[in-house]
Amino acid sequence: MSADRLLLTLSDSSDSSDGHSRIEILNTGGYRSDGRRQYELRTISIDLSPQGSGADGSASLTHGLTQVNVCVFGPREAKMRSQTYHDRANVNIEVAIAAFSASERRKRGRGDKRILELSQTLKSTFEPVIQTSLYPRSQIDIYIQVLQQDGGLLQACVNATTLALANAGIPTYDFVCAVTGGVHSTSPLLDLTLLEENDLPNVTVAVMPRSGKITLVSMETRLHVDRFEEIFRLAGEAGKVIHREMRKAVKDRTEQLVASMQSVGRPSTGADVGDNEY
Amino acid sequence: MTSASISKAEKSYIQAGLLTSPPRRADGRYLHDFRAIYLETGVAPLSNGSARLSIGRNPLDGSGGTEVLAAVKLEVENIEEQTLDGGRIACNVSCSPSAYPHLSSGALDDLQHDLTTVLHQTLSHPSLHPKNLGIIPRKKSWLLNLDLLVTAEAGNIYDALFLAARAALWDTKVPRTRSVEYKTPKTFLSASGDMDVDQDTRSGFDTRHVAHATDFELPDYWDEGEILEGRERWPVAVTLNLLHTVHFLDATLQEEASCASRLLVVYSHESPTAYTIQSMRMLGSDELSIPHLKKLIKEAEGFTRSMATSLTTKLEDEDFRRNQKAREKFGRRK
Repeated sequence: MSADRLLLTLSDSSDSSDGHSRIEILNTGGYRSDGRRQYELRTISIDLSPQGSGADGSASLTHGLTQVNVCVFGPREAKMRSQTYHDRANVNIEVAIAAFSASERRKRGRGDKRILELSQTLKSTFEPVIQTSLYPRSQIDIYIQVLQQDGGLLQACVNATTLALANAGIPTYDFVCAVTGGVHSTSPLLDLTLLEENDLPNVTVAVMPRSGKITLVSMETRLHVDRFEEIFRLAGEAGKVIHREMRKAVKDRTEQLVASMQSVGRPSTGADVGDNEY
Repeated sequence: MTSASISKAEKSYIQAGLLTSPPRRADGRYLHDFRAIYLETGVAPLSNGSARLSIGRNPLDGSGGTEVLAAVKLEVENIEEQTLDGGRIACNVSCSPSAYPHLSSGALDDLQHDLTTVLHQTLSHPSLHPKNLGIIPRKKSWLLNLDLLVTAEAGNIYDALFLAARAALWDTKVPRTRSVEYKTPKTFLSASGDMDVDQDTRSGFDTRHVAHATDFELPDYWDEGEILEGRERWPVAVTLNLLHTVHFLDATLQEEASCASRLLVVYSHESPTAYTIQSMRMLGSDELSIPHLKKLIKEAEGFTRSMATSLTTKLEDEDFRRNQKAREKFGRRK
């Protein structure tokens, strides 16, 4: 009992919350408010089946209760000629957040500052990763729809976009895998929920697992410089774990496609193969 | 209106197919057949009621088709004008650019606005207003926000929107509230100094309480609240696509592009015998004679009635799946 009290006072002094929250971020048993351990990630589920009206690639990804859908169109002819470049493709990212995605209803229009910032962050993350020079004078449209928010929005957007790009067959130099890390007094936590995100200093890191390069570091809170290195390193490692899941999903999807292609185009089925499209 | 642009040859081919007897459509349907409709309620956990509906989705991989997500969120609102008494309803349709990849953002905004206007004007009409959206008379009430999100479109968007809206509103639970009033604690003077437990059991006939209520509280209860009053009344729309003398239902994008006008009729079926027409729109540029219009309106009633009946059956099924079956599952786990 006394240990619990101690931890509570500790958490009150370490974060800047006004003390109304009485949910323990990390209890004495080392469990978080949703029953995870410190370094445990939330359940990731990935769906790469087609969505939207004829998208070239799409992905639906959930990190726990955060859900994001991404549709990729392109490379295609740009709607506005002025937006094209003669030596590379233009990457256009639009983010929309459903009004019912958070606990408070909030309708954010296309011009909302928060949305513009998010799409700009994503654009600068993906522009160097996509091999845009292969598609001069064209445009790649990435439409992101946020359906549920429970922390880790940026991370979910990055991961889902990577998967949708892979699904669309757009060549990239590497996967981009993002994860959020935070620190509770001195103990680092990974993959924060909204509750934790509101109370803890946190940083989102996106890694390219093959080369080990970092493409995105985003932090909107204050974090002690001594803690930064540890969280940064942990987030990098967690990115590799997420990469495994993402690669598995892409592989499974491809295998499924290959299997159905072979079942259609197999010459041994007798009848004329020429009619079959694949 | 539609994002599909088709050639003259394709257009006349589709028209000829629809006008021959027996009529021929690209997917082998009859004129008055719908594509398969998939519906699921309770898809947005943070809303008070929600539904996902898709028309004509590929059953194997879930691609194609028109897909709409609808969610209801209730907000407490302070009443300033008398007209707001008893709550209000606000509908909002947003279209994802992935549903209309050919439209520019300006055209997308126009489309959203068009759809929002039709939905809002129809659903916020006083004749459909649920009676349990008030909290404290003349002080506080619920604002019902109905947000619809079009994630994919393959024709017949109006019918899909109205069906999804009806499903989400059917699924909506209004949190129970208890009025609170502040008065001088008489018991405090006579009490023995113990904790002042509120033993004031209210009589159902004591209406004075309501008049003086200044605030409300949300009592803890095992369910999420009560359903909206009169949820059988929420209307169903049918779009009649008109081509010369024939009309057909549930047009695909190509079919929509090849007929000049459409008639949207919205009926509310409170019971099999009591029905009212809630809204009507003529979309497109063609003209229509009055006798023909009368015939169409009458026929539309039959279509919406069967749609409303099957939707209600499905929604009752969903209620059962999400409430009773879930309860049994938890019961077994004990």
